[in-house]
Amino acid sequence: MSPKNLIIAIVLAIALSTGVFVAMRLQAPPALKTAFVLPGAAPLPEFALVDQSGNTISRDSFRNHWDLLFFGFTHCPDICPATLQVLASARNELDAAGQEPLPRIVLVSVDPERDTPELMGKYVGYFGDGNLGITGSLEELRKLTSGLGIYFEKQAGQGDDYAVDHSAAVLLVNPDGEFHALFSSPHIVENYVHDVPLIMEGQ
Amino acid sequence: MRPYLLLAALLIGACGAEPQPPLVATELVVTRPMPGARMSAAYLSLTNNTEATIRITRVTSAQFGSVQLHESILDNGIARMRAIPALEIPAGETLTLQRGGKHLMLMRPTGPADVVSLQFFDDENLVLSVDTEFETKAH
Repeated sequence: MSPKNLIIAIVLAIALSTGVFVAMRLQAPPALKTAFVLPGAAPLPEFALVDQSGNTISRDSFRNHWDLLFFGFTHCPDICPATLQVLASARNELDAAGQEPLPRIVLVSVDPERDTPELMGKYVGYFGDGNLGITGSLEELRKLTSGLGIYFEKQAGQGDDYAVDHSAAVLLVNPDGEFHALFSSPHIVENYVHDVPLIMEGQ
Repeated sequence: MRPYLLLAALLIGACGAEPQPPLVATELVVTRPMPGARMSAAYLSLTNNTEATIRITRVTSAQFGSVQLHESILDNGIARMRAIPALEIPAGETLTLQRGGKHLMLMRPTGPADVVSLQFFDDENLVLSVDTEFETKAH
């Protein structure tokens, strides 16, 4: 190759790679801060639990809206209220920014022994209107958690004084009732405000 | 002469100062029990002004039936809460109890209250007693 042809080849190569780079930048969606979107959304398993009003909740209850699911329990003074407060604050900020639709906040109790529907109602109601608190039998709860890879285990204690270890993740469920994306802890308001609309738009 | 006067004044001031308490609590926050829940949490910083480690092994409160020393741990995506035997504050250092870490778990409120009192004991003696209003929020 003559020096002249070599220069032309180099210039062409640079131009081509620059073009490809620019095209990739234009097409790439804005990066998510923390959420992990599942390569293939997974339908929720079949289960039958109850909400704070005693209504039956099944996987069909998750159709037609976006839901942020957190697994916790009301006798948890530290992590659970802190996480629910992050979700409530993020939802308020999204609302103020005009986000439509807004995700519903759902607390699934991993302590159905103590968490009655009434107690769940008081607890989730504290973090805003429209939140859903779910409890029910241990057997039905296991159907939901094991299908989603959520861990929980009651710890030894004295009488009513016991803790329950549980997965700290928050799951985003899409309007088809599918597990769509995962938010791992630590849970930070700004990350939800940034990522939730992006994931919804990508749907 | 002036620097000497200043030094003298400082020395007098130092001699006249109250002795520091062995353990000092700052940034004390006690959450209100959540609606329906019979528990809340307390967060604070404990500063040890002595030259020996202070081990708080028991905390009591007139407003709660039981106070436990707890620690929240995030272990591979699993939130765990454990009772711990003591709060150890090394000589001259500060231990911070905060959300998602070490905290006091206050259980079984004895009745409606606006102020909560906490007494911190080592194996033998009362080391510190503090009062504070409940936080306006419940978490």
